Amino acid sequence: MRGFELVHPGSLADAIGLLDTDDDTVRPFSGGTALMLMMKTGVFRPSRLVHLGRIGDAYSEITASPAGGLRIGAMATLSALEHSPEVIRVAPVVARAMTRLANVRVRNVACVGGNLAHGDPHMDLPPVLAALGGSVSVAGPQGTRDVAVEKLFSGYYETVLGRGELITDVVLPSQRGWSSAYLKCTTRSADDWPALGVAVSLRIEGGAISEARVVVSAATEILTRLTTAESALTGAAADESTFARACEAAAAEAEMVEDARGSADYKTQLLRVYLRRALTQAVQDGAVS
Amino acid sequence: MTIHRPTIDRPMPAGQVGRSVPRLEARQKVTGRADYVHNLVVPRMLYCKVVRSTVPHGRILSIDTSAAEALEGVYRVVTADDIRTVVPNPFYGPAFHDQPVLAVEKVRHVGEPVVAVLAEDPYVAAEAAQLVTVEYEPMEAVFDEIEAMTSTAVVHEVLKPAGTFPDLKHLVGRRDTNIALDYRLRRGDVDAAFAAADHVFAHEFKTQQVMHTPLEPMVSLAEPGEDTLTIHTASQSPSFVRIEIARLLGWPENRVRVKVPHLGGGFGAKLYIKLEALVACLALLVRRPVKWSLTMEEQFYTITKHASTFRIESAVDKEGRVTGRRCEVFWNGGAYADIGPRVTQKSGFTAPGPYDIDNVSIDSYALYTNRPPAGALRGFGIPQLVWAYESHTDLIARGLGLDPVAFRRKNLLRDGRPQATGTPVRDAAIEGVLDDIAARMAWETPFDRGSGPVKRGRGIAVGFKASIAPTTSVAIVNVAADGSANLYLSTVDMGQGSDTAMAQIVAETLTLRTEDVKVVHPDTDVTPYDMATLGSRSTFHAGNAVKLAAEHARDQIAALAASLGLPPGSNYAPADLFKKKYGMQAGNIIGVGTYIPEYKSPAPETGLSDNVTPFWMVGGTGVEIEVDTETGHVRILRMVNACDLGRPLNPKIVETQISGAALMQLGFTMFENMDLDDGQVTNASLADYKIPGMHDVPDQMESVITEAEQKSGPYGAKGVGESATFGVSPAIANAIHDAVGVRLTEMPLTPQAVFRALREAELNSSTTSA
Amino acid sequence: MDASETVKKIRFTLNGRPVSATVESHVDLVDLLRRFDLGGARESCGQGLCGCCTVVVDGVAMSGCLTLAQLVDGKRVDTIEGLDQTGALSPVQQAFIDEGAFQCGFCTPGFVLMTHQLLERNPDPSEPEIRDYLAGNLCRCAAYPEIIRAVKSAASRMRASAAA
Repeated sequence: MRGFELVHPGSLADAIGLLDTDDDTVRPFSGGTALMLMMKTGVFRPSRLVHLGRIGDAYSEITASPAGGLRIGAMATLSALEHSPEVIRVAPVVARAMTRLANVRVRNVACVGGNLAHGDPHMDLPPVLAALGGSVSVAGPQGTRDVAVEKLFSGYYETVLGRGELITDVVLPSQRGWSSAYLKCTTRSADDWPALGVAVSLRIEGGAISEARVVVSAATEILTRLTTAESALTGAAADESTFARACEAAAAEAEMVEDARGSADYKTQLLRVYLRRALTQAVQDGAVS
Repeated sequence: MTIHRPTIDRPMPAGQVGRSVPRLEARQKVTGRADYVHNLVVPRMLYCKVVRSTVPHGRILSIDTSAAEALEGVYRVVTADDIRTVVPNPFYGPAFHDQPVLAVEKVRHVGEPVVAVLAEDPYVAAEAAQLVTVEYEPMEAVFDEIEAMTSTAVVHEVLKPAGTFPDLKHLVGRRDTNIALDYRLRRGDVDAAFAAADHVFAHEFKTQQVMHTPLEPMVSLAEPGEDTLTIHTASQSPSFVRIEIARLLGWPENRVRVKVPHLGGGFGAKLYIKLEALVACLALLVRRPVKWSLTMEEQFYTITKHASTFRIESAVDKEGRVTGRRCEVFWNGGAYADIGPRVTQKSGFTAPGPYDIDNVSIDSYALYTNRPPAGALRGFGIPQLVWAYESHTDLIARGLGLDPVAFRRKNLLRDGRPQATGTPVRDAAIEGVLDDIAARMAWETPFDRGSGPVKRGRGIAVGFKASIAPTTSVAIVNVAADGSANLYLSTVDMGQGSDTAMAQIVAETLTLRTEDVKVVHPDTDVTPYDMATLGSRSTFHAGNAVKLAAEHARDQIAALAASLGLPPGSNYAPADLFKKKYGMQAGNIIGVGTYIPEYKSPAPETGLSDNVTPFWMVGGTGVEIEVDTETGHVRILRMVNACDLGRPLNPKIVETQISGAALMQLGFTMFENMDLDDGQVTNASLADYKIPGMHDVPDQMESVITEAEQKSGPYGAKGVGESATFGVSPAIANAIHDAVGVRLTEMPLTPQAVFRALREAELNSSTTSA
Repeated sequence: MDASETVKKIRFTLNGRPVSATVESHVDLVDLLRRFDLGGARESCGQGLCGCCTVVVDGVAMSGCLTLAQLVDGKRVDTIEGLDQTGALSPVQQAFIDEGAFQCGFCTPGFVLMTHQLLERNPDPSEPEIRDYLAGNLCRCAAYPEIIRAVKSAASRMRASAAA
């Protein structure tokens, strides 16, 4: 990992300019926790790291919108998310997910944008943000665009981000009336990478589910929205039998990947159980007001 | 979490032994100033990085070092041919001289060191190592211990017994096979016992390969002198390192100096000889100090714990007494024997468990395979055995419809009765440990079995272990003219607290405060021989040597008093004696103690001996668990660990030893597992090889020091580093069975394994009822 | 690449003292501290998982092994060695000794620093909060029960002295 250049652009435009290259040994560097691992093991040998720490404080701000949504600067650390009064009020499920994500030191330095851009399907934040209907603002040499978090990932450790593109913000739509939960499951030590992550978000009106989002991660190659499970939920009563149907639909729909944390069959069983528990918890915790 | 504090508070007359003195080095450790080889830097030092084999078994066709040598900053690139210019026969090991300093002609496991790169900058050494290319001709490999018994793939063409240790003198191995050692024991008439049995139970149990993962990764630094060599090493056995390095170099022992500061964990990983051989050769080759630090990943390719298969069969009469037992144990030793043969024999002879069984046969095989080598890991094979025999014992009790505790009580080895080898059991509180656990768990009272999909269960298990022999410890106590004392000892304090315990023995004997005894860390130029810090031997063996040394000093002080005309029994301070004798503060009194316990090697034909161990360690575990039947997740609500460690020298340190050992074994039981793919460890990092953290600690942990005394031990004490590992795995498997009626016979006990077993049981019962 | 682009002179405050160093881009914070003869932060797992390399930068704990040294330019760096500069142990250090909350001691500086971080933010943590906060520190000797006791004991000592 010797011999690379660590540069500190003072603005987003400068950062994009530095990253607008075909050279894949040039990479953005925010908290660096993931890149450092790849560098230490020799998987990635950079020629230049573009440190984003000085592009401006605005990119680490977290602000609640009057409508009940949230804008999270990509350079906000995971710890900032965990402790932000706005996040706790508007999207409490996000703050709760943080307490068992990696560890305190990683959360202190790892940033929201990097966490998403890394494309690792075992991360906790992407499924939660996807279930909340979140999107990212992306800035690049060709200008800016918005991408839904659920559409951000194109493969195992791959995203749709193009040359020179950086995530600048995460935007959550109004969470009012939505009940959400995230559960993850480990199968080795308690603080292992998850074998399964499942995030749900429901809009319940008069005892019936009017809208539902169900997202599975970690057990699948990329974060996946389970639309048949969502269909099973939508329009039905928020009760056990609906949840059971949704869980069977999810089990039939999700394509599980076998690894050291469990077989595909076993992960399918975990999905059945954890989706039901997540749905139950979302209902129990109630809607954001 | 609630922690039960045993109320053992019965200090010896001087008040030092039996006192919970904080560790002597505590301040250095909480301030980050304790010295570890990890941090050691010496002038002109070069860093070593090795190039490791990428194939499990293969002939080396070519090695190209040119690109590495061309990298700026590389000092030298070294192969086995270069090593041979320093050591003509560069093979080492405690049981067999089978391990090359760098691979010679062929490689026997993925990760075997093939080439060493030296540079002043460790980053340069690491980069250069990636530039070396080695070509191999792959050979047929064998990975499984059962397959290794008959495999046509033979890991070692020639077997080279070391002859170092008297208990392994008979080691010859079987040529053209992978059997490094087969230990057999025959006692009574097993066939007759089975023929007459009312019930016969037969099971097979397996354990997986795991790693110690000391947080201070293995590290050694060699410094050449004019005609000497100093090795600073994170080692549990400085005396052995000195002898083995001297043998390799053909030097007298006194020209090799081995120094060991604090160790950042050992657990058996840092025993005998590991990195020292290569750094010694490199330092002599380039005439500069060389440091070799492993990464966490590299540790997985260096030493591990044996995977094993244990076939166990019992004959039981209608009263529920076990009358005969057959044991066949297969130890997966990996590519190099390390101390595996001793594990095979020493653990082998306790394979039938702490039960009074007249007719026993044991066959225990140390096998070579093309996995990373296996050696000692906290328990020396015993946890693998207890896992099998205590699971088996539980199954017998269930099969007979007997309470598992009552069934054990009926069959336990009691004081004076012969163990499988024929050695009578003395000072082994097997029943006391069982009783303590049963009492803590209120075994006789009804138990809440849970409701809904979450079921509760409880399980219990006890195990025992023979200590090591023959073995020698020497200690020197130096009383200065002001009455303070130094203890010179080659026992390594790797966290178990031996420095403090040994200082307590000196203090008790000389009537000093423990804090006034300074323990000199192992430095073979200064500290005397101690076989090694292993197998919970230090408290007993080194402790006895220390006590003898302190008594020797005490007797000389008394003699000095008498020579100065003080009547026996008079009250004097040693400082006054020195002053009176020398006319000023001057002089020393040196006490020396050597301890060698009696021992008789098992007879090669029968495996029997009437004195196979100087003492027995006993440990047991009881657990209460919850099983989530929807996912197979097991949660340990409560864990009680009880040990017979004689009389505790330092109750608080002992408790930490007990809970620490049990938690380590908890990791091996529930999830730790080296995943292998064609001999490559696919999870060789703490990201993917998970060890227990805070959230894995049971809600309630209790450490129990069972009332006992080891009469031959120093102040009634014996070791406890391993005892709490014994019962953990089977206690949990027994509790799972109790909770949900399924039996797991392979570790680790993952949620998926539990869930699968539940599913199978469900299918079986539905087909039976259909 | 020209050395001038990879090597940089940095200035920072180390345990309260202004210092400077010339470092290459790949050097991490553990390496940097070693140059100042500080050995309390140690690389073990190399992945930010074990906490042995814990360092506090601008009041925030991070893994030294995952932190590039050049990035502490202009910052305040505090290590385990800074805790007892007055000659007295911190209440956390003393509690770790009193409760026997370690064996080999290799991971101890990380646990001590993280406990300080926890107690600064939460002076009276519950046991689950202690477990959550310290779950990113590993102790292979598994002195966890004693560590939990030490954290509770340090918390009550610190609350008592704050109240006094």
